[in-house]
Amino acid sequence: MKAKEKYDHIGKSIHNVNAKAKVTGRAKYCSDMEFPGMLYGKAKRSPYAHARIISIDTSKAESLPGVKTVIVGGEETCPFRYGAGVGDEFVLAREKALFVGDPVAAVAAESEEIAQEAVDLIEVEYEELPAVFDGDEAFKRNPPAILHENLKSYQTLRSVPPRFDEKRPNVFNYFRIRRNNAESAFKEADLVFENRFETAMIHHVQMESHCGIASVDDTGRLVVWGTSSKPYGMHRDIAESRGLPLSAVRVIIPTHVGGSFGGRDSKAEQIAASLALAQKGYPKRPVKVKFTREEHLSTTTTRAHYIVDIKTGVKKDGTIMANEMRLLLVGGAYAGTGYLTARNAAFGPAANYKIPNFSLDAYGVYTNQRMAGAFRGFGNAESLWGMESQMDIIAEALDIDPLKLRLKNCIDEGDLNAFGETMHSVGAKECLHAAAEAIEWGKKTEGKAPHLKRGKGIALGNKYSIVPSASAAIIKVHPDGLVELRTSTVDLGQGSSTIFSQMIAEQFKIPISKVRVLNPDTDITPFDLGTASSRSTFNMGNAIIKACRDAKKQLFELAAKELEAAENDLETADSKVFVKGSPERGIHIKDLFIPMVIGGYTLKEGAEIIGKATYYLPGVMPDPETGASEKPAAFYMFVAQTAEVEVDTQTGKIRVLKMATANDCGKAINPMMVEGQQDGGVLSMGIGSTLLEEVITDNGVMLNPQLADYKIPTTLDCPDLDDYKSIIIETAHRDGPWGAKGVGESTMVSTAPAIANALYDAIGIRFYDIPITPEKVLRAIKGKF
Amino acid sequence: METLGVTVNGEHVESLIDPKTTLQNFLHDTLGLIGTKEGCGSGMCGCCTVLVDGKAVKSCLILALQVRGKTVLTIEGLAQGETLDPLQTAFIENGALQCGYCTPGMVMSGKALLEENPNPSEQEIRQALSGNLCRCTGYDKIVKAVLSASEK
Repeated sequence: MKAKEKYDHIGKSIHNVNAKAKVTGRAKYCSDMEFPGMLYGKAKRSPYAHARIISIDTSKAESLPGVKTVIVGGEETCPFRYGAGVGDEFVLAREKALFVGDPVAAVAAESEEIAQEAVDLIEVEYEELPAVFDGDEAFKRNPPAILHENLKSYQTLRSVPPRFDEKRPNVFNYFRIRRNNAESAFKEADLVFENRFETAMIHHVQMESHCGIASVDDTGRLVVWGTSSKPYGMHRDIAESRGLPLSAVRVIIPTHVGGSFGGRDSKAEQIAASLALAQKGYPKRPVKVKFTREEHLSTTTTRAHYIVDIKTGVKKDGTIMANEMRLLLVGGAYAGTGYLTARNAAFGPAANYKIPNFSLDAYGVYTNQRMAGAFRGFGNAESLWGMESQMDIIAEALDIDPLKLRLKNCIDEGDLNAFGETMHSVGAKECLHAAAEAIEWGKKTEGKAPHLKRGKGIALGNKYSIVPSASAAIIKVHPDGLVELRTSTVDLGQGSSTIFSQMIAEQFKIPISKVRVLNPDTDITPFDLGTASSRSTFNMGNAIIKACRDAKKQLFELAAKELEAAENDLETADSKVFVKGSPERGIHIKDLFIPMVIGGYTLKEGAEIIGKATYYLPGVMPDPETGASEKPAAFYMFVAQTAEVEVDTQTGKIRVLKMATANDCGKAINPMMVEGQQDGGVLSMGIGSTLLEEVITDNGVMLNPQLADYKIPTTLDCPDLDDYKSIIIETAHRDGPWGAKGVGESTMVSTAPAIANALYDAIGIRFYDIPITPEKVLRAIKGKF
Repeated sequence: METLGVTVNGEHVESLIDPKTTLQNFLHDTLGLIGTKEGCGSGMCGCCTVLVDGKAVKSCLILALQVRGKTVLTIEGLAQGETLDPLQTAFIENGALQCGYCTPGMVMSGKALLEENPNPSEQEIRQALSGNLCRCTGYDKIVKAVLSASEK
């Protein structure tokens, strides 16, 4: 029996603290913000996938009435390259444009219409160069095009350095794992399976487009508002690309941002910053750059096309002996966060099963397309698409139930993963059992007509969270007892402000209404690595707990004198400090402050009650040759998903009849919000990426840059309420706040294989590429039924 | 420039506007009703849904002048002071929002449905909301919210 939980706020489905602002239309996003005298910026974009910029004539644009500033790439606009791990990108392209949509110039004008007109008046002469779009071609030793001839001279990140490939000029990162000897294990295996799986390029489709506003204040300092999920990453990029000291830039992210899913690395803020700085003299007017939906869909970061080659050796009883993989992230023209995605796509396959012999090579390769980087799952939905489809191929060949094959091999507490790390907090088996039960695994149902074929599928997944990692939190206790959190975690919709409020309310024993979370602002809120990798609950949560303790210690020091009690004997609740067990021996927080003549409250020393803390998790960098590491990740979230589909063999249409997801999040601080993450991951992005979504291009031009053509799921694409089960599994992590890990990214890493395995069960056809569209299904079943 | 007279959230407004102004621009930029969000500007996402004479309309698809003399209800006009509409409360209680960018349009489409059909089935709700895109929630809790509001 589980002990009865003794928490007031933790584990409770408290309403989103921003919900009222959002349902009343009061919530102000970056795209809603306006400033007096604001100008509107637009980018001039390359029509070629790869072209040398011969000349740019801006004279006509400059003479258009209402145009304030026109900028082009060059020393003045962007002296230095920047990037998440590889400094390969300028704010505006210089010398060469590397993809269709690469910004080469920009305009700030009195209105968006004038800015657009001016952009159209800019004349650019290009010399078109051979381009490469195909991942295998780009990967070659002699590729048809080399994007970055001087790659080796670029700045790279010291803490997690990218690894280039001497012989392959387009490779921007290479990562490998060698555990024992896969090659010889294949010889001992009873059966060996070798397949290639692919995933299409897809887009995050955040409902709020990317937006940036930049202004230069009266001291010449640059202030930038944006939609970034990584305020300090953007802060660094903006400063370093201009050679400015960090302190010369201030980045502010509004309380509300319209979704991220990993895809907030945009140039909107950078272009706005350049346009604000480039204005001659003073005052420099603020500039807003909001990408249109078409710009958003056709030029901003994506989930890469992935090529996954997998070779698996098994014993007849289903024991996996060896696994060999090559993961190829077909990246964009700039590495962006893709440099890390390329590496970290290895983590899912490395930690799903006990595999004694494991060999993996993961690459990221430049092609002449827009940047491809972080996307919910960070490469692992793609690598596990291969691994989990492969598992069903093996299960069928060995005549073993797919659930049993997974249960037999799945990793467990204390097992070693492919890094040689000892696993902790592993809910894989519980997830598998729960997801299977929710869909009545093993029970076949029939469609209402002979052409409606039904089947069920299952898949297992996991998602690590990044190291090295650091989050800092500042807690201020106001004289009226309100507790304020200063954090640079961005509430992108996932609900971090609510989760943190619950944690603080629990620490101070106060109602949620007595907690306030400030929006990220590099002048006010301390460092955080970024709202990514499902890391906020765990990392920022730990920082918050430490900062709360620090603030409470200060309160207790002050109150101890007033109450003539020992600090250690004190506790706080309801904005009072009192002796444990004797609430009558207490003092209200406001009475620890001294009301002052003229106004305000003060402390005799120490200025304010400010608790502060950093949660720093360095991890252990994997060995460059073998990948060996005892701590390559902060934690692992597990997930199992099951699907029942119905295929119309006359039209090829697939309906997801039922879906269940069971996610091991460690501990649900807010179960309703954990469900919300699971729902969105499975039903919107999971089903969408499996059945609907694909960025279709021709010579680098996106052919479906509108929401009418790039289809994300609607209410009609999702299973009915009774047919969808969102299950929370809690396998506490010893280092997690209240045992919590995370959830956001684990939610779609096994959706595609679960659906495709169900499809195979229905019609006996294996699909190796997603999305699985009705056209593909029809082509495949032609003549079969 | 043209004069536009229209009732917005119960208040008559008169405004001199550029005839090219869409209703979404007029509400969001001229009147400062920022709840009417622009998601795509081409009628494909539903973020800018408002009610015109009680019917759900994508406000980026019509010109402001087309609502001359009509009654427009935006998300800001749904609550009575601090008292929320039952549908707004249902969205909060069911966790039917995340990033919130689609929420105003989603609530307005739900409102239009409930005005016309106070007790819709799940399928009727899914149909009515099928023109409103949401990337965060997978719609499950949104459909639940509309169902629960209809039962009140």
